[in-house]
Formats: sequence, C-alpha cells, structure tokens
Amino acid sequence: MNIVLVGLSHKTAPLEMRERLAFAEALLPDALSRLVDQETVDEGLIVSTCNRVELIASTAAGADRGIACLADFLSEFHQLPPDALNGHLYRHADADAIKHLFRVASSLDSMVVGESQILGQVKEAYQHAINAGTIGRVLSQVMHRSLSVAKRIRSETGVAQNPVSVSSVAVELARKIFEDLTDKTVLLVGAGEMGELAARSLLDAGTGKLIVTNRTAERAEEIARKYSGGAVNFEAFYDVLPSADIVLCSTGAPDYVIHPAETKRALKFRKKGPVLFIDISVPRNIDPRLADIENAFLFDVDDLESIVKANIRERQQEAQQAEAIIEAEVKNFVEQLRSLDIGPAVVEVKELLSQIVVSEFKRNRKRLGDLSAEQEAAIEAVLIPALVNKLSHPMIVHIRNAARDGEPSQMMDELRKMIRIE
Amino acid sequence: MEILWIIILTGYAVCVAQSIFALTTKRPVMRKPALIALAIALGGHTAWLFLRGLRTGRCPLVGVQEMSAFLSWGLVLLTLIAYRWYHANALQAFIFPIVLVLAVIAGISPGPSQPAPVFSNSLQSVLLPAHIGLLLLAYASFFVAFGAGVMYIIQERELKHKRFGTVFYKLPSLDTCDAISSRAMAIGFVLMTLGIVGGVWYSYSRYHIYWQPGPIEIFSVVTWLVYLIIIQSRINAGWGGRAAALASIVSFVIVVCSLVGVRYLGHGF
Repeated sequence: MNIVLVGLSHKTAPLEMRERLAFAEALLPDALSRLVDQETVDEGLIVSTCNRVELIASTAAGADRGIACLADFLSEFHQLPPDALNGHLYRHADADAIKHLFRVASSLDSMVVGESQILGQVKEAYQHAINAGTIGRVLSQVMHRSLSVAKRIRSETGVAQNPVSVSSVAVELARKIFEDLTDKTVLLVGAGEMGELAARSLLDAGTGKLIVTNRTAERAEEIARKYSGGAVNFEAFYDVLPSADIVLCSTGAPDYVIHPAETKRALKFRKKGPVLFIDISVPRNIDPRLADIENAFLFDVDDLESIVKANIRERQQEAQQAEAIIEAEVKNFVEQLRSLDIGPAVVEVKELLSQIVVSEFKRNRKRLGDLSAEQEAAIEAVLIPALVNKLSHPMIVHIRNAARDGEPSQMMDELRKMIRIE
Repeated sequence: MEILWIIILTGYAVCVAQSIFALTTKRPVMRKPALIALAIALGGHTAWLFLRGLRTGRCPLVGVQEMSAFLSWGLVLLTLIAYRWYHANALQAFIFPIVLVLAVIAGISPGPSQPAPVFSNSLQSVLLPAHIGLLLLAYASFFVAFGAGVMYIIQERELKHKRFGTVFYKLPSLDTCDAISSRAMAIGFVLMTLGIVGGVWYSYSRYHIYWQPGPIEIFSVVTWLVYLIIIQSRINAGWGGRAAALASIVSFVIVVCSLVGVRYLGHGF
C-alpha cells in the first residue's frame, strides 16, 4: 500500500495555472468518483483552494504508477495536454506525501505562514471525500492525523499567534487596550478607501459604532450609511472626539489635521480611560506629539508595519519548531501505518503454520492410539493454537521489524518460501 | 516546620515558578502540573487553618503565624475569583510570589505564642475574629488591586513605547487590568468598612468605648479615607486609565508603609 500525492501551489504555479486546475465545489463529487474509478487508485481526496490543488490517493499498484495516474487524471480532467503541467507539479510518495500534507494542513506551506483558513479547507475537502465515498481505512487515518498535527502545531507553537496584516494589527492593538470592542466607537477621519478598509476590519471585529467625518460631507454620509453609522461635520471633529474610543485617521491632507493641544482639551471631557489613535495616512495626519498625552495611544503606518514585520519574523522562527514536530509526527505515523499493514501478513503466516500442524496431526492420528472426545477437543482447541502461536511468534517479530525498515513484502516472500518447504 | 507546611510551600513555589515562566515565555507551559500543585497547596493550606481552629477552639487569626496563613489563603482565593471573572492568567505572576512569602512566614513561625483573648461574652468571640478576618481580606483585595494596577502600568508602557515583547502578549488588555483593579478595590473597601464596623462594635462591647485613638486605629481610618476618595473619583469624575492604576499602586504602598510603621511604632497588631 502506498500513499501518493500530486499537486501544485502558489510556490510552483502561477495564478492562471492554478485557476485552470482548480476543482469547483460543484464538480468535486464527480471528480472524486472519477478519481477512484481508475484501477490504480483505491482511495482519493482533492484539496482545491485558490492557492493550491492537491490530489491525494492510496494505491496498491506502487508509488510510481500511483503518481503517474494522479498527474494524468489532473490534466485529463481539466482537458489539458499532459505536458502542459510539466515543471508546475510536485509529486510525493509515502513519507514525503504525508509530510507534505501535514505541512499544508498546519499552514506551514501557506503564502502567509500560520493563516487559519487552510485547516478549514482541508477539513472541508475531507468531508467532501467522505460524502463521495472515496475515503477508506488508509486515507481516513492520514487525514485524521493531519488534522490533529495541525491542531497540535497551532497550540504548541506560535506560528498562528500574532497578526500579520496592517488592519489585523490595528484590531489586535484595539483588543490590547479595550478588552471588549462591542461598546466602543470608531471615529473615522477621512473617508478614503484605505480608511474605509481599516474601519471595516474594526467593525468586523465587533466594534459597536462608527462615526465618519470628511472634508466633503457627501462621502462621509455615504460611508456612514453603508455601515449604519453617523456622519459629522469636519469642523466638529473635536466635539465628537471625546465620545470616540478609536480614532482612525486617513485623509489626503499634506499636513497634520489632528493637533495635540486641541486633542488634550477635548479629551478632558472624556471621562473614560484610554483612546487609541491610528494614523494610516502618508504623509501623517496626526501630530506625533499626541503620543505624549496621558491615556492617548498613537500608532502610525510605520509602527503598524514594523509590528507586522516583527510578527512575520516571529512566525518564521516558530515555523522551525513546527517543522521539527512535523518530522517527528511523520516518522511516528509512517511506523504506525506500516505496522497496520502487517495485519494480513500475520494472519497468513498463522494460517500456513496451522495448516501444517493440523495436517501432521491428522496424518499421525492413529499413532496416538485411543483418545477420549475431551482429549481430542483439547488437542484441537488448545495444543494446536498454542503450537501455532509459539512457532509463528519469531516470524511475526521478523515481519514487524522488516515493516519498520520498510520492506515487509520481501520478507513475506522469504517466509512463504520457508514455511512451504515441507 | 511541619511536614504540612513543606507540602504547602512546595506547591506554592511550583505555582510561582510556573506563573512567572508563563508570563515571560511564548507558550503556555506546565499548566496542568501547576494546577495540581495549586490544588494540593490550597487544600493543605485550608486543612491547616481548619485544624488549627479545631485544636485551639477559636478562629485561627491570632498571632503572626495565623494572620500570615490567613492572609495568603485569602490572596489565593481572590486570585482564583479574579481568574474566574476575567481569565487573566498573568495576574498570578504578580500575586503568587507574595502568597509564597506570606506562607513561608507562616511556615517558619513558631506555633501560637500569644494567649488566646478571653471574651466576656459570645458576641465578642464573633466580633473580634470577624474584625481581623475582614480587614485581612480587605488588605488582600487591595493587594489584588495593586497587582492589577502594576499590570496596567507595564502594559501601558509597552503600548506607549511600541515595544511588543512576550509580556505584552501575555498581559491582559488595559480595560481588563482596570476592571480587576477597580473591582478589587471596591470589594476591599466594602470588606474594610465591615471590618472597621466590627472593630468599633467589639470595642464598645468590651471596653464601652467606640474608638481608642492609637496608631493602628488612626492608620485604619486614613487608609479607609484614601480608598474612599479614590473610589469616589473613579465613580463620579470618571477617573480611569493611568492615573487610577497609579492610585491603586500608591494607595497600597501607603497601606504597607503604615502597617510596617504601626508595627514598629507601637503595640503592633
């Protein structure tokens, strides 16, 4: 039994290629059943996202044939000439295939290391394959282990810990100041696209209320309507400032529009704790001296980006730790798979030995003289199985060792020959 | 030292190590062993207080040993309550070291040295321990407020200086620190008020005077007033943020300084 994997990702193929080879969700059941209809493929699974397509299968026809079969299926299904995929596909078998799948599920192979979407996508792919009935004993184990390894890596390493985009960093900062965002108000200064995006990520994170102000009032009202917030006059900015908890500034102004002295005065009316100022405009629109005001926290684009960079570095460091976990898990899992694989071999050895013992017993039955029914039953129920177990034990140990080293089939051939020499 | 104290101290020592380790390293470490250690230590601690009470036939609130034991026990309890309400693990790193210190004092102190007070009626035998116990729990609450205040100031500095180390990610949000601090302070204030009322009542019942102006009495009233002012400004003036956090720290420092002062100044407690 071999596990094979063929796929392409953002690392090996351009977007156009990934688009051509993606499996739309509606086509998945058909694709899965066509995949396992092939003689070489016993079980199959397809992971298809915008960044990658992975075909995973178990096969009894050998790794090379399995891989070739998956690659052919990929081009045939998408009606591409087979050589069109050359150079874009990676092909893995057994331990390598398992390792690749573990890395994908753990988001170590993702564009943004540690992103959480991929795990959900892998789970979905697994569910699709279960529904299509293309998952059997082997792949279900592989998938279960992939998901548990991914969970282990998320909880034991920091690969998914810190945010790695400017707007998610802004949300994280807001959460580090205000535990609960639901009763907090965002004041958006400047209704440009960047500002709207950042405000939206704060609203998505649960922020309760949005107030918009802009030099041209129409645009402010437009955004306020869109997010069911309120719009205020640009001149009235300092009047509404005390009611805001998060001030998001993103205007096209060439100079500072929020000044420390006025802000300090306005915040006197605010009878609550801290205020978060986020300045995502370039050039900056909030005077940096604002950071000196008590309970005011100011972050500009450079601050946010340096946090992003530090977090990415952090994730990369954590990824090394995750790789070590993956190595260990793969080794462990491959051994486990192989020892499962020897089940039929053990049965076969015992069967062969039992045949020999039983036939010898029958052949020599007369020499044993008269036996009571109980004695005869005891020989069949106790003595023969005991003999078989005793004789087969060293052989099974051999098979198990051979399986651990990866060559159980050769060992089985040897054993068969040995036992059959009667 | 009794064997029970060795067990208790070992348990708390594990908790101290784990809580500090957890605050300064990225991953959550040894949560389970620490939890088991805490359960054993707290169980032993509770059992000791209980047994001491049984043996002496009074509340275990007499003398340095019993007071330290009770104070540290109350601190652990309050920390657990704070965890239940706010899920702020980091707080433990600020409180458990003091718990350990107090437990060590209790562990190495000799047994009951002071004779148990003799009461002339059963009301007095309830009022005095209630007075002492409530005040000790009030100080424990003020200490929790202090710890949360320290967390606030650290977190505030990290945010102001844009330094986002491990501690930054492990500390709770400013709002949570503030909430723990103000709630602990309010609880402490209520306990202290009740404790003082108990003390006045006891004094009247025993000596037929409400108030005997000694250093400890004056100090208690001053502390009470300081906390009253802080809580009042928090509620009415919407005072919050950094200033409130600093106030919870400063006021607790005042409490400790005066407690130490009173102890060396006069008749102790």
